[in-house]
Amino acid sequence: MEPLWLAVASFPVLMALIFLRVPIGLSMLSIGLLGSWLVYGDLGPLLNQMKTLAYSQFSTHSLSIIPLFLLMGQFALLGGISGALFKAAEAFIGHWRGGVAMAAIGACAGFGSICGSSLATAATMGQVALPELRRAGYEPGLASGTLAAGGTLGILIPPSIVLVIYAILAEQNIAMLFAAAFVPGLFAAASYMLVVALTVRLRPSAAGVIPALPAAARWRALAQTWSVAVIFITVVGGIYAGLFTPTEGAAVGAISTGVLAWKRGGLDRARLAQALEATASGTAMIFFIVLGAAAYNTFLALSLLPQELAQWVGSLGLSPYAVLWAILLFYLVFGCVMDSLSMILLTIPIFFPLFSALDFGLQPDDAAIWFGILVLIVVEVGLITPPVGMNLFVIRAMAPDIPMAALYRGVLPFVLADLVRIVLLVGFPSIALFATWLSR
Amino acid sequence: MAGWVYLLCRWTARFGAAVMLALALLSVASIIGRALSGLGLGPIPGDFELVETGTALAVFCSLPWCYLMRGHAVVDLFWHGFSPAMQRVLELGSGLLMLLVWLLLTWRLGIGMLDYRASGEVGFILQMPTWWGYAAALPPAAIGCLAYAWRLFESLGLVDPPKLESTQAMGH
Repeated sequence: MEPLWLAVASFPVLMALIFLRVPIGLSMLSIGLLGSWLVYGDLGPLLNQMKTLAYSQFSTHSLSIIPLFLLMGQFALLGGISGALFKAAEAFIGHWRGGVAMAAIGACAGFGSICGSSLATAATMGQVALPELRRAGYEPGLASGTLAAGGTLGILIPPSIVLVIYAILAEQNIAMLFAAAFVPGLFAAASYMLVVALTVRLRPSAAGVIPALPAAARWRALAQTWSVAVIFITVVGGIYAGLFTPTEGAAVGAISTGVLAWKRGGLDRARLAQALEATASGTAMIFFIVLGAAAYNTFLALSLLPQELAQWVGSLGLSPYAVLWAILLFYLVFGCVMDSLSMILLTIPIFFPLFSALDFGLQPDDAAIWFGILVLIVVEVGLITPPVGMNLFVIRAMAPDIPMAALYRGVLPFVLADLVRIVLLVGFPSIALFATWLSR
Repeated sequence: MAGWVYLLCRWTARFGAAVMLALALLSVASIIGRALSGLGLGPIPGDFELVETGTALAVFCSLPWCYLMRGHAVVDLFWHGFSPAMQRVLELGSGLLMLLVWLLLTWRLGIGMLDYRASGEVGFILQMPTWWGYAAALPPAAIGCLAYAWRLFESLGLVDPPKLESTQAMGH
């Protein structure tokens, strides 16, 4: 079979393996190795390539940022920071109609600013805020939908592991991507709060009301959270200003969050061991997918599929926006059943050349950053869309008494808000890009 | 007897993450040194190379534990629709594939190490031989083979899985 058609045929086989519950990384790794072997027609070059395959992927300097951010997230979990953030937000806006849910979203945004993982954000904020929401009389669907959606702020607001992966695949500047993600991230938080406000206006019975706190208590609660702001400004600001490299920034974040957790008394020996194990697990999971994607993408590159596809799409004479929407739609649909990181690792090597060939009247680097933010948002939607929305599972695991259908209904308005945000960002790239223009 | 593979993998994973923690401390020390270069201090030389080598070691150390804890990303959309017999077959097939691929990669990693030792390639700043990194990665890679074989024995019903509280993997 010709290499090109071999690559085309490999995709359904890969999908079949994944749906048969073979680990995603393992599926890509085996199909990639097998495909390369068939293209080479000889075991020699493949065996040669495998001598350095795993080690060279695992020792990629820019990828070392990932375990460091995972470590930072684990320390943030142990430090009880999520609780402090939620209490502070609740102290200020909890007494509004729908205020406790809005406070949960605000706290998710705060936690997302020191954590690059959506699952970790959903898990920790769920633990803190879900009982409070239910005590305050919020409908289970609204409460759980809010937290599942709020969890996605973990990757939308920098630092973000998904953006790190995109930056490496598309060879873009991580600092610029973080800067570009910031405003759309805040925008996401604001739109989720708006969803809550509209929901409780349409259905006042969806939420209870809690009494307001005196001013002194508010400022006391806020004072508990200044360290989070300092860490965020140091890490993301330091990377943005060029004081240190992104990897160094992640190291600073991990150590400072660790010190914070320790000072707050959350870091005894047992918990440290637990944080280390969770960091190891997360690291292994991500790097195994990275390894599989590297093997599979080597095979695709050998088959020339990415170039041929880009040429073919170019020859169709479609408008750039039609192609962009087709790509975004692909992510939205596949995001319903696929893990977000695997999806990015699998598809960016194919879609990025395709996208780069399109002309949107932007500088090439600006276009690449804009595309990265769009991809980030569409794959993030995949975390809260049924049937395979990881954040939904995380929240559901914490509150098994909430029916899955109520959870789906509860998260739907947030998905709609995401779709509106995608349309706006496609129409107005400057929402993301102006932060990068500021630094020139 | 039961559980020693798990214990080994667990401590290997803890060690791997501890390596990352050490690398983080190293980077912070390097930044402080660079910031205080006016006072006669300076950045730690070769921190770039150390981070690369250390990360590779940490990842190799983390993989076996993640697999034993079923931490790898899977799509189980259709899983509950399969019959128990089918589930058993799939689990066996997937476990066998994992073991085969990893045995292959470990073997090639070893050959890669020998190649680099023969060529004498060294890192740019520290002059550290490249094969050292490969040599450090080999023991955890071999532990991986052991872990994947063990899980396969478990699926075949040859050994019993130990009772452990699971840790949750926090991905992305």
